[in-house]
Amino acid sequence: MPDKPEPKVPVTPPEQWVDKYGDYLYGFAMSRLRNPDAANDCVQDTFLAGIKALERFDGSRDIKFWLRGIMRNKIVDQIRKSIKENKVDIEAEDEALLESFWFKYSGIATTNPDPWQFNPRKSYDNGEFWIVFEKCIAQVKDPAREAFVLRVLEDQTTEEVCKAMDITPNYLWVLLHRAREQLKFLLEASWTGENVK
Amino acid sequence: MFTCKQVSNALSKEDYEKMPPLRRFFLRLHVKLCVFCGKYNRQVMDSQDMCRCYKEYEMTSEETFVQYRPEMEPAKKDQLKELLASQSK
Repeated sequence: MPDKPEPKVPVTPPEQWVDKYGDYLYGFAMSRLRNPDAANDCVQDTFLAGIKALERFDGSRDIKFWLRGIMRNKIVDQIRKSIKENKVDIEAEDEALLESFWFKYSGIATTNPDPWQFNPRKSYDNGEFWIVFEKCIAQVKDPAREAFVLRVLEDQTTEEVCKAMDITPNYLWVLLHRAREQLKFLLEASWTGENVK
Repeated sequence: MFTCKQVSNALSKEDYEKMPPLRRFFLRLHVKLCVFCGKYNRQVMDSQDMCRCYKEYEMTSEETFVQYRPEMEPAKKDQLKELLASQSK
């Protein structure tokens, strides 16, 4: 059996993880979950899973990023748990959209969505824009926000999200449409400082 | 060439930047020219771009976020420290 290679970066012992990475991981979890209790559980589960898997850590990158990788799976688990506790029901407005001519014909909600009130691309290099973006995501209403986090931010497949939320792919499409709509409205209001609608 | 429904289906399931080049080319062409779904699906593509840029920024510029994100309560930290100390023995 070959010896385990020396880690390229120093490995922080688990006793120091809370002080070094606790706030970072908690903040990361809050950006996805917005529930302090769920975020605390997530950090705890991450550290415990990290201790169990520490022998497999190859030291090729900072252990903080390795723990963040574990945490992303725990975030998905937490959202799944939250969805199981609050079953997703189709709202009447969403049902009408699914039955609408445009959706059945072209798979879209409308041919003429409102244009953006500002060009977001011009702000992509500005850190403040992403802070505002993150705050806006937190304000999107559930279950659209949960669908958006799972599908878009955590890169779960359509099938995985539909299974977790117990919804059809068409309804997932409606939820993502709602999330994008709300996010656009919130970003326009927050970034331009005006309530444009 | 894609139909409007095929474009919408593709965009709801995949990030267009991760599509094979030829598929991406025809999809973009459709979105650019189509008077029915062009405006809507352009915004879906813009939204995908924005989220991809956010994730890249989040991974590379974490210090920007750290100062704005909430911190763990000290009491919770103490509980967790005790738990980790007992687990890592």
